[in-house]
Amino acid sequence: MMETIGIWLAAFLTLSMFSFLYKDNPFYKFAEHLFIGASLGYGIPYTFFNVFIPYAYNPLFLKHEYILIIPFLIGIGYWFRFSNNLSWLSRYPIAFGLGIVGMGVPMSIHAQILVQMRTMMLPLTNINLILIFIGTVSILLYFFFSKAHKGVYGKFTSIGIWFMMIGFGASFGYTVMARLSLLIGRLQFLLSDWLGLIN
Amino acid sequence: MKRTIPLLIVIILGMMFVMHTFVPHKVSQDFYDWFQKWIKVITSFAIVLGVGSLLMVHYSKIKRKAPAWGYSWVTIAALVGTSAVGFIWGIDEGTPYMWIFENVNAPLGATMFSLLAFYMASAAYKAFRARSMEATLLLIAAIIVMLGRVSIGNAITHWIPDITQWILNVPNLAAKRAIKLGVGLGMTATSLKIILGIERTYLGGGK
Amino acid sequence: MKFTDYIQKIDRRYIFIVLAIAVIVPLLFPLGLPTFTTPPVRNLYKHIDEAAGEDDKAVFMDFAQSPSTLPELYPMDLAVLRHCFLRDIKVFTISYYPQGAAIMQMALSEVKEAFPDVRPDYDYCNFGYRSWALRVPITLGIGDNIAEAVETNSAGRRLENLPIMGKIKNYDNIQVCIEISGASPGYLYINYARARYGVDVAIGVTAVSAADNYPYLQTGQLIGLLGGLKGAAEYEELVETFAVNGIPYSEKKAQNLSWRQQQFELSEVPYKFKRARIGMDAQAVAHVLIILFIIIGNVGYFIEKRQEKKKFIK
Repeated sequence: MMETIGIWLAAFLTLSMFSFLYKDNPFYKFAEHLFIGASLGYGIPYTFFNVFIPYAYNPLFLKHEYILIIPFLIGIGYWFRFSNNLSWLSRYPIAFGLGIVGMGVPMSIHAQILVQMRTMMLPLTNINLILIFIGTVSILLYFFFSKAHKGVYGKFTSIGIWFMMIGFGASFGYTVMARLSLLIGRLQFLLSDWLGLIN
Repeated sequence: MKRTIPLLIVIILGMMFVMHTFVPHKVSQDFYDWFQKWIKVITSFAIVLGVGSLLMVHYSKIKRKAPAWGYSWVTIAALVGTSAVGFIWGIDEGTPYMWIFENVNAPLGATMFSLLAFYMASAAYKAFRARSMEATLLLIAAIIVMLGRVSIGNAITHWIPDITQWILNVPNLAAKRAIKLGVGLGMTATSLKIILGIERTYLGGGK
Repeated sequence: MKFTDYIQKIDRRYIFIVLAIAVIVPLLFPLGLPTFTTPPVRNLYKHIDEAAGEDDKAVFMDFAQSPSTLPELYPMDLAVLRHCFLRDIKVFTISYYPQGAAIMQMALSEVKEAFPDVRPDYDYCNFGYRSWALRVPITLGIGDNIAEAVETNSAGRRLENLPIMGKIKNYDNIQVCIEISGASPGYLYINYARARYGVDVAIGVTAVSAADNYPYLQTGQLIGLLGGLKGAAEYEELVETFAVNGIPYSEKKAQNLSWRQQQFELSEVPYKFKRARIGMDAQAVAHVLIILFIIIGNVGYFIEKRQEKKKFIK
């Protein structure tokens, strides 16, 4: 019974969303606002039961690890973010959260820059590796604005634009695919789960 | 107290973490274990930011009687209702909370973004024009990738998936690598600015 | 009104209707187009398959998902889990998104229905939801000790007491970390787990971000990539071909699946395990339609441009 009600409700909400394609209307507005509220509302009990209870409440109140009262109080600082006079208290938990940025510096230099550069500089043993090298260097130079893009240098950087356009084209092709997949998923739901037209 | 200490916390923790990456000493490990324990407690309060921000926006809309303010009640009711269901009946499988997820959250979220397919089709028809050499290259690459990722492309000729794979593996890779290098350098620079106390926007306004 | 004006000014709602029809018809009347596989998907399948029957190896799955990516990523979730359960490969699942955790639970339940012998905490372990801010500490902590970093499973039981953890301690025992993600796929594992502990990483992503991740494939930072519905369909097909039929994986056989098209009827496969493949028929028709839209739009544009040029010369 609940399953049937659920499928009909989901179908109604799906169609309410699709109704925007004709024009903006109260059904769409209702569905949109419901989505925002339900999405965030969904996260509150999850965070409470899976994060607050095991990491804050249990150690402090059941295991009596009283030192944790300090991070507990710092965490409460978040609550003052919207206060005019005490919003500065929220800077403390934010500062703790940001500290881990330090870990990201060496790690991301390694993973995002050094490994990428090292692979680019491998012996250029075939035409594809040569093309990748030329493409990457020409794009990097295209974004180097301290030298005017004229003459041979300008022509070389324009090769970078061609590479970028092909890259963006590939991304665009994939983006079309992604959006259509989402539509297919919803129509699969309507035709299969709701109307039972697909076996 | 209001700005300097939070700034110092970021600077000291940031430096410690940079060192932690390179120094596998016990002190460094102890520091890391301590941080893990504390940050778990602190972050359990972070959801307040999202909830507070949403409530403030909609409360203000209702108070000002802004256009379509009545719908703000829908958002607030959904927020309160969904979380209340989770607190009362629990969040495990088979509870009303999961029922709401499967029949409200999931269809709404998926359909919201599927609308883009229609606008993309409309844009393909009305806006994607081969106005220049660059735009033509973009369109040709896009068409090949679109054909090469589905079986129709393979049915026409196996060259289409092969060319698609080549586009992805060579020119696309070069373009994305260059962009990633730029983004990586930018991220590193921003992180360093935060650790060194140059970037302070996270502290927000006020004294 | 001239024809060129007409095609330029057509109401977009007609375009919407044509697209809807192009998607609905192949869903109702499948064309049965064969699925072909690509190297990034085959690599991932092969890599996971190598852990079959190993007590001290597990696949680590991170569900960085929300309902907005369900149609693309959910079939991947099901296909990878089905592969692991079929081939007796241990699985750990975690999500740092509340909604991702629900999707993870849905996927585990749906796949488990087909495998009554697969037991939680013995054959797989759901770590449940963890706060977003704990992503880095947990990802790094797993390098030392999974049980200490994650602490409990989704039901609150201590990991060190669970049978599945018997021979599994840290990344040395993780065959591959797969992040099936609609956000910033794999960066967490590439930046931290791979860079520091050398663990193999793979991703399942929405098609939007598939092309962006090819540089990581070339460097070996990613060992495999499932891109959008197509990636999911390929994985479904590989599972059907090899794992379901108990055929050992062969790269040569996987490269061209035409040898097995007659071996099974897609209609016999449960709907949940062929969802992506059914969708790919509609995907193919819709792609052709979008290409036609681009061509018609451009033909109109060039005719108009030529006429304007002629007028100017006159």
